[in-house]
Amino acid sequence: MLMSLIPVTNKFLLCLAFCMVLTGCVKDIDLDQAEEISLSPDIDVDLLIYNISEDYFYQSKNNVFQPVIRDTVRLEFLDDDYIQKDLTEVEFYFRHINTFPQRFSHTIKFLSNAGREQILIRYEVAPGSLNNPVETEYTEVIEENRINLIRNSIQMVVELEAHPNSEEFKGELEFASTGLFKFDF
Amino acid sequence: MRCWPLITFLFCFSVLSAQNKPLLYNVDDLPQSLLLNPGAQIDFIGHVGLPFFSQIHLSAGTSGVSLHDIFKNDGTNINTRIRAAMHSMTSYDHFTANEQVEIISLGWQLDKRNYLSTGIYQELDFFSYFPKDLAILVNEGNANYINDVFDFSQAAFTGEIMTVYHLGLNHRFDKRLTVGVRGKLYSGIFNAESTGNTGTFTTVTTPQGPNKYRHTVENMNVRVNTSGFASLNEEEGMTVEEGTAELLKRSFFGGNIGVGMDLGLSYLVNEQFVATASVQDIGVMFQREDVENYHYYGSYQTDGLEPLFPELDETGRAIPYWDEFEDEVDKNLIDRTYNTPYVTWRPAKFNLAIEYGFGQAFLPCNYLTVNKVRYMNQIGMNLAGVLRPRGFVYAFTTYWDKKLTEKQRFRIAHTLDDYSLANIGLMYSITFNKFNLYLAANNLLGFRNLAKARSTSVQLGMQMVFKDL
Repeated sequence: MLMSLIPVTNKFLLCLAFCMVLTGCVKDIDLDQAEEISLSPDIDVDLLIYNISEDYFYQSKNNVFQPVIRDTVRLEFLDDDYIQKDLTEVEFYFRHINTFPQRFSHTIKFLSNAGREQILIRYEVAPGSLNNPVETEYTEVIEENRINLIRNSIQMVVELEAHPNSEEFKGELEFASTGLFKFDF
Repeated sequence: MRCWPLITFLFCFSVLSAQNKPLLYNVDDLPQSLLLNPGAQIDFIGHVGLPFFSQIHLSAGTSGVSLHDIFKNDGTNINTRIRAAMHSMTSYDHFTANEQVEIISLGWQLDKRNYLSTGIYQELDFFSYFPKDLAILVNEGNANYINDVFDFSQAAFTGEIMTVYHLGLNHRFDKRLTVGVRGKLYSGIFNAESTGNTGTFTTVTTPQGPNKYRHTVENMNVRVNTSGFASLNEEEGMTVEEGTAELLKRSFFGGNIGVGMDLGLSYLVNEQFVATASVQDIGVMFQREDVENYHYYGSYQTDGLEPLFPELDETGRAIPYWDEFEDEVDKNLIDRTYNTPYVTWRPAKFNLAIEYGFGQAFLPCNYLTVNKVRYMNQIGMNLAGVLRPRGFVYAFTTYWDKKLTEKQRFRIAHTLDDYSLANIGLMYSITFNKFNLYLAANNLLGFRNLAKARSTSVQLGMQMVFKDL
């Protein structure tokens, strides 16, 4: 009866509006796609650096030249959950700037906690001179089919082997390295 | 030339938004108008709300993206759409949700000049800016953003659940001026906030540096305050019933306490123009119970780990480079948890409105009520704002309010805000004898498909309203 008090046009508009509210709906979407939502960050991080001179090759007690020096760094983050579960690819970048007139063999090994070798990366560092530093770059991509090798690793061994020649063994060798870690969470 | 002030006014506020209730503001036969303006002109002498049903208000909005933008079924990858949405939004885009339920609402006329109203309502309010930089960093990483700055200050949010006890007085000074005040006691159930954060994270190329990049966290100072969260979080074995009982206990002053007030006035400029203004929730909460604060601060930069060659130290042990690095990071980027009381301000709101009445001032079958129904039609403009962490968020509404009969009225409104430029709202109120029922909804066009709507709000309620006939 009360509705009859409302003029016809107003009644129509009110009914239309409240029908819209009451029949409000959610359509043209698929909420099941929420299952497919993932985060895919690519994280570029610095790894190791060093800058060594000829002195580093004369560190034995009797000051005898040692052509091979090495050091080991434990990369504890490789054992973290996000690496173990969500890492999909790693791209290592290594750069040397050499003023030694000698070439070097540079070896990087990734070892498991038990010391078992997982990944071996080896490349040559070109000789330079004090007035002409020479840059050597090297990139190693560990794709998904080998990513378990990174997950199994915890130690990174850096080994440098000098190759003496007739030139005086004197200079500096700068090393820079980064890792591009790609994830799919 | 006279149009310029209006055009300027419209332009200034056409891109702004607010969480408000323009459909109930200045509706003189609804008691809820007193909650929006305690100095509203009213035409009733008493009201009693149906407990829990005298006002149910729900609103939600997102200024930058809709559900449809993310979940549409168009064959493209959802993660691509999320990425596109993140890039299309700015750090000033925001998400908001507000809910109010009146538990008790009643009021009565003390004398010809004074009307007292009181009640209890429960409110949930959540507001967050979109932390664009952090979202992109988490979703995409830093690799494609070398030399870009990720700004922690973009992270700002507030959230609270509380019960509000209020008592208001509406006083008519004279025929022109009505003023009102409402005192409020807040009983906090839950609060979480993080505002005023600072700091940046950058990865920059360093051609002259020791490594390809340098990672820098600079002046980080991020603080998250919570109350009413820690105890629920710690109670592992808490059942739903126990959790509900705990929350109910807090709603009756068992948790944190605050005080606040609303002020308002209405001024009859002339027979047809009425100007009104109000401020709500000028209030403060003292968060003292069940408080937990998380604080992250410091600065640090790194170029990478530096092996020393040789492999072993003087004692013949391997050098723990990683442990030393972690210690260094922990020493410079500090993470602390405190239980320090803190103070939060309620999101203050304001309304400014001007209304013009026209049409016949009496009803055909009830001409004696000419003093109560002044005009059958009102058109009005309402500027509303809510104070959020980075300043006021505004909405500008124009409306036409029509009294169909003495017992029925509707209001149709258009609101310009961040969420929509085509926000059409409708309010309808009807009274059966003394029983009043009202329903109001904003963004009606959005109801055709709520997934595409960037905001929506609904208010409905029922109550007894007594008029002096």
